[in-house]
Amino acid sequence: MQIYLPIAEIPVDPFVVVFMGAAVGFLSGMFGVGGGFLMTPLLIFYGIPPAVAVGTEASQIVASSVSGVLAHLRRKTVDFLMGGFLVLGGGFGSIVGILIFRYLREIGQVEIFISLSYVLFLGIIGVLMLVESMRVLFRSPEKTPTRRKHRSVEWMAAMPFAMRFRRSQLYISPIPPIILGFFVGILAAIMGVGGGFIMVPVMLYVLNMPTNVVIGTSLFQIIFVTAITTILHATANQTVDIVLALLLLSGGVIGAQLGARAGIKLKGEHLRALLALIVLAVCARLVFGLITPPVSPFVIEAGS
Amino acid sequence: MRFLIAIISLLASTPAFSANIAIALTDDLVRVDTSFDGARLVLFGAVTGIENPETLIDIVSVVRGPDATFNIRHVEKRNLIWMPGNAQEIESAPGLYLTTSTKRLTDIAPLPDQATYRLGADFLDIQTIPLEEPDTALYANDRATIFKNAFLSEFEDRGLYLETVGGVEFKKSGLFTINVDLPATTPVGDYDVSVYLYRNGELLARDTAQLAVNKVGMERRIYELAHNRPVSYGVFCVTISLLAGWFAAFAFRK
Repeated sequence: MQIYLPIAEIPVDPFVVVFMGAAVGFLSGMFGVGGGFLMTPLLIFYGIPPAVAVGTEASQIVASSVSGVLAHLRRKTVDFLMGGFLVLGGGFGSIVGILIFRYLREIGQVEIFISLSYVLFLGIIGVLMLVESMRVLFRSPEKTPTRRKHRSVEWMAAMPFAMRFRRSQLYISPIPPIILGFFVGILAAIMGVGGGFIMVPVMLYVLNMPTNVVIGTSLFQIIFVTAITTILHATANQTVDIVLALLLLSGGVIGAQLGARAGIKLKGEHLRALLALIVLAVCARLVFGLITPPVSPFVIEAGS
Repeated sequence: MRFLIAIISLLASTPAFSANIAIALTDDLVRVDTSFDGARLVLFGAVTGIENPETLIDIVSVVRGPDATFNIRHVEKRNLIWMPGNAQEIESAPGLYLTTSTKRLTDIAPLPDQATYRLGADFLDIQTIPLEEPDTALYANDRATIFKNAFLSEFEDRGLYLETVGGVEFKKSGLFTINVDLPATTPVGDYDVSVYLYRNGELLARDTAQLAVNKVGMERRIYELAHNRPVSYGVFCVTISLLAGWFAAFAFRK
């Protein structure tokens, strides 16, 4: 059985696509990550045009982040003020990202650029996570992680417009969150990711936000920024395939629930090591694709 | 059967002694819907004014898809990775070009005819112009030929330009059918279907019919919304995603 995608303009096997959604959903439920950084490369490997993979993934992340953020809203672990500044930066970042994406598409280099961005980010994140989890796994367990000194970091409090972020218990300038949001917005538009894998560590270790509000606040930002990105991709590139997004979603929802249950049974360090290996495997596959000669020495795209 | 009657009545108007050919399609619209996975196009035709048409004549059919502009790039190794180079523009080329014939095209029609009627994708008038500064120091003519040939072989590999020999089925008394399989990647747009009647390398008659390949139903609505009102479509996608996410959270909440 095949389903013809109206925007990608190719037929796909719906069971394969739903299964891909479920597999990535399972991993994202298990590890508590968005999964965009796995889904977009997977779609490209499957043969979806990269531009459509990126645009469609943005809309899928909106859906998965909404179901994620609702739990955090109930637990009141979303810092709306912080989230608002992140969205502000993210919106501008998304616009800049779309412009870069459009330019790269015009000069025919968007696929290479997407692959290279993924290799760079997946490589760095994968290695860092692997090193971190190995250190925890092979060290004596009595060593506790270093304690955080103060909540508010002086250099960020010294910047202009410093204000109090009540839920994050911080007194800092909104400029660093805006810059962070901006950067993540660019990534969202170019790579078809939510950007949680960059945002969460920066919120924890640079902004010094407390752990309990980090996930909820980043999900809050991701919903808005991926929503903006979806609309921008739909407007500027016509590359959002809602049929594909819905197929991925239906698998992803079930996968995420199963994954969350499976995740409880595994230890955090094991989980992190496993995720690091998956991330590095995807990275290696992308590197392989870049350095091996292509099947056809010519590429053809629709002209203007 | 309706078309057969139509063809025969159409042919009846021409003098009986001159050879003629006519075709009709089972359906002049190919519908691209959610389950579209390629389609079979059936051409019904009739040859008149010839004794023993089955043995003496050759028939060629050409299905030509909508013309479009393409960019083609040569993928080269730069530093460590394979990157597409600067683009050559293919000014105008059909999106689909399928020929079906009783024998090989070169055995049916003389070269000038093949060139005139573009019997075979190799005879398509494909012009390439460098869009950006060319990467290679080749002479312009060589470059144009290289990119044209690359374009043709790429589209052959994708099954968009195909030459099928022996797809013509003769029925009794000069009637024939030709089955043309359209691939799943068939572009949407207006098509020309032509048939040529040959005997001993001489063109006796030809006929054309129109065909449209269109998205229908949900495919069409989504595609048109996405292209005509992209902002509304974007908002629509976000709304659907928000609802789907909310529904998922609701469904799995314990």
